[in-house]
Amino acid sequence: MGRRKKIVQECERLMDEPENIRNIAIAAHVDHGKTTLTDNLLAGAGMISDETAGEQLAMDTEEDEQERGITIDAANVSMTHEYEDTNHLINLIDTPGHVDFGGDVTRAMRAVDGALVVVDAVEGAMPQTETVLRQALREGVKPALFINKVDRLISELEEGPKEMQERLTAVIRDVNDLIRGMTEEMDDIDDWTVSVEDGTVGFGSALYKWGVSMPSMQRTGMDFGDIIDLEQADKRQELHERTPLADVVLDMVCEHFPNPIDAQPMRIPRVWRGDDESELAETMRLVDEDGEVVLMVTDIGVDPHAGEIAAGRVFSGTLEKGQELYVSGTAGTNRIQSVGIYMGGEREEVEEVPAGNIAAVTGLKDAIAGSTVSSVEMTPFESIEHISEPVITKSVEAQRMDDLPKLIETLQQVSKEDPTIQIEINEDTGEHLISGQGELHLEVITQRIERNQGIPVHTGEPIVVFREAPQQQSREVEGISPNRHNRFYISIEPLPEDVVETIKLGDASMDMPELERREALMEAGLDKDTAQEVEHIHNTNILIDDTKGIQHLNETMELVIEGLEEALDDGPLAAEPVQGALIRLHDARLHEDAIHRGPAQVIPAVREAVHNSLIDAEIRLLEPIQEVRIDVPNDHMGAASGEIQGRRGRVDDMYQEGDLMVVEGVAPVEEMIGFSSDIRSATEGRASWNTENAGFQVMADNLQPDQITEIRERKGMKTELPEAINYF
Amino acid sequence: MLTFVGLGLYDERSITVAGREHLRAADRAFAEFYTAKLVGTSIGDLEAHHGVDIEVRERTGVEQDPGPILDAAADGDAVFLTAGDPMISTTHVDLRLRAHDRGIDTRVVHGTTAQTAASSLTGLQNYRFGKATTLPFERAHGGTGVPDSVVETVTDNADRGLHTLVYLDIKAADDDYMTADVAADLLAAEYDQRLAVAVCQAGSSDPSVVADDLPVLADRDFGPPLHLLVLPGDLHLLERDALVELAGAPETLVANRTI
Ligand SMILES: Nc1nc2c(ncn2[C@@H]2O[C@H](COP(=O)(O)OP(=O)(O)O)[C@@H](O)[C@H]2O)c(=O)[nH]1
Ligand SMILES: [Mg+2]
Repeated sequence: MGRRKKIVQECERLMDEPENIRNIAIAAHVDHGKTTLTDNLLAGAGMISDETAGEQLAMDTEEDEQERGITIDAANVSMTHEYEDTNHLINLIDTPGHVDFGGDVTRAMRAVDGALVVVDAVEGAMPQTETVLRQALREGVKPALFINKVDRLISELEEGPKEMQERLTAVIRDVNDLIRGMTEEMDDIDDWTVSVEDGTVGFGSALYKWGVSMPSMQRTGMDFGDIIDLEQADKRQELHERTPLADVVLDMVCEHFPNPIDAQPMRIPRVWRGDDESELAETMRLVDEDGEVVLMVTDIGVDPHAGEIAAGRVFSGTLEKGQELYVSGTAGTNRIQSVGIYMGGEREEVEEVPAGNIAAVTGLKDAIAGSTVSSVEMTPFESIEHISEPVITKSVEAQRMDDLPKLIETLQQVSKEDPTIQIEINEDTGEHLISGQGELHLEVITQRIERNQGIPVHTGEPIVVFREAPQQQSREVEGISPNRHNRFYISIEPLPEDVVETIKLGDASMDMPELERREALMEAGLDKDTAQEVEHIHNTNILIDDTKGIQHLNETMELVIEGLEEALDDGPLAAEPVQGALIRLHDARLHEDAIHRGPAQVIPAVREAVHNSLIDAEIRLLEPIQEVRIDVPNDHMGAASGEIQGRRGRVDDMYQEGDLMVVEGVAPVEEMIGFSSDIRSATEGRASWNTENAGFQVMADNLQPDQITEIRERKGMKTELPEAINYF
Repeated sequence: MLTFVGLGLYDERSITVAGREHLRAADRAFAEFYTAKLVGTSIGDLEAHHGVDIEVRERTGVEQDPGPILDAAADGDAVFLTAGDPMISTTHVDLRLRAHDRGIDTRVVHGTTAQTAASSLTGLQNYRFGKATTLPFERAHGGTGVPDSVVETVTDNADRGLHTLVYLDIKAADDDYMTADVAADLLAAEYDQRLAVAVCQAGSSDPSVVADDLPVLADRDFGPPLHLLVLPGDLHLLERDALVELAGAPETLVANRTI
């Protein structure tokens, strides 16, 4: 029997013992060393050979990842590790660090119970460290810290024990400040800060495969002094042999991360809004392998042979081939064709995967990343994609007519795998639109289409996605149907910022029980009378039904909502989506007969009323903005800050960190297109930089008319605005 | 002057003599057929028959952009043609009021309408009809089955012993007309067994009028459109006899409704 086969068998045995399972993610700011660390853990567990770890980057399976040297898709892998004489099964997910791929990180967090946050000792906590921590804590995932690249402190910066200790303490303090800030208001978490004494902090070098922690120092008797000596003497192999990284980290994982039995009772109420008294809730809390099957799909991948593979966390029951399972949001059931687990980049089929594990399943043709899959119909899990909205769009067109059907299929596949990607198929023009988190995000997707699918494509210039939002209370506006028999009386006001945020985060939605929704909205600042009458939520807009006892309105509401959605999807300024509007329906007059208040009458009447109210509420164009951080040597600092200011940006802070200057600011996404090559030439390639989407911001009034005209022209709309828009 | 002329129920000869005279004398003739249609003829035949040009307007050209019609009526004699009667069901009272707004004189020349046919062909007394209603295609009201307001109307009428005239949805633009069997099928889901009368090809030389249980009507083919359905309430003696004789109603079905 091969070694791999043996490991698979051992994994299968361990899958049945939830006490000995740990589901974990490794997350970090880009380049801090996640992938290198992961390879080390695999090698330590005997999954890949020791020599190649660190060079092979087993987790970066896609060609473009190995080329770019960054992890794009979260990859899954299982390994075993012996801790305190008991063998443990560790299911691990490597997550991408680049902000453009934030959706993947959030999804990975849903599947795991512990997050090992990797921080570069030289750079310290960086913006994406904060982002991934927030994503972990939101999901109720417990953090531990690994400070990586400590070899650089010794060999490059030549720091002594005291300087080193100060620096490491500072990193730990920064990370703990973040954790404390984020968990302050979480009642179910008391103290998740990390500390050396508790053993929830490890140090080391993923590249040279050594690591230490308080418990390991006690066990091996090696202290920092010994490490500095060996590192300085270039005896890294000896260092590795005497205090191997994988043992230190995997011990930490087994000791400090909760097993599914401890984790699920706390996590289920956080991520699932169903009835907590139900039997299903009970079997999920108990990780009951005999309960109904509940699988949360966190990732969809494609295997050239097996087709589409859904990966996710089994919260209850046991997955087996042949099961007929419901997929949330779709009708009917899908039949499971095979179940398996991940070993490195590869999938191994197994007989069954019980609760508490991460499984890879084929046959779930209706599932997308984020689906709830179950053997009984149930309330689906909370949606996972709250954090990111697409900000940039690009058109894609097949170069060869013959490729058209294949391109459409591929695009649909892409959006299934990554719900932070939105696609719009246009079969008439063949010019499809993909929207995503940033320039790089879209670039990677198009390259995959070209390379993996072999479809040569033309792509358009990236276009920024705008929003439109009301700025003040409107008067009550009448919308009249074409036959003039139906009238709707509507006013619009801006929603409080916190309410918009609450909806964006998915904390108030039409999917949840009315009472809960009402409470969430009131907590965010909506008054009680309003919160009680919520009729519909569309994106971040709320429709309130303030009417009383109007005959036939019930029957007409579907059409009212349809008209409302049309009006909100294509705002009155530039047909961009409207956000943050509170729409009140005050009154309606309806024709006696259903046929005279059909779609042709109601939809245009409502659309007109909504657009005119929005205009009366002085609707403005909003553009997406990004936070920018540039790390650059002193003599290039002027050029770097100039790159932000020259882009309608604002520099908020400049400070020294180590031997580098840090420039922080914000700039519109539109102006950030092409930033990557501009900053490189402005600083002779000496700058490293990072951006993070920071929502939408009202554009200055003097810029609005031109921007609106430009968008209208691009969309082939007539360029004159409705007369009532006279406030710029 | 704007003259509203009803074309009646079926073909180019369903118009009244008065209507015909106004049509032939007009400077311009407009028409709309978006909610009803003369099944027995075409625009071309109408034009040839009357020796006029007819400008057919879509819904938007009447409801949203009636300017050109009103201009023609301000400058000369214009007629506005509709199937049936111009002021029944799809009322054009809005257009008439707009004309008055601009100081344009108007008049109405009636045509026979489905409501007339529903009484005339079935023998059910027009005094004994309650509110009328339209049964929309499922896709047209965004729901499934029969809308609550339709059920309400029928039930209210029946509670008071009154008949209900059920117009059947017309999507002229898609050339799609709900037929009596489809309507009976939709209503059968709501009422099971219930006496109903299908009135088909009213205004033609050979209309068909059939009274039976909804499920039975749901299985029949009533020929080309237009169709309508009547849901009788209580029946007077003569109404009962008429349904049996003119619509072939099974005796047992009408017996227990008779008062
Ligand atoms: N000196 C040093 N370099 C490291 C260490 N760990 C990773 N690196 C290097 O840092 C770069 C980024 O590592 P990678 O694992 O791809 O980072 P990821 O983006 O977080 O996955 C690579 O060039 C690694 O060789 C370390 O412990 N010491
Ligand atoms: Mg990586």
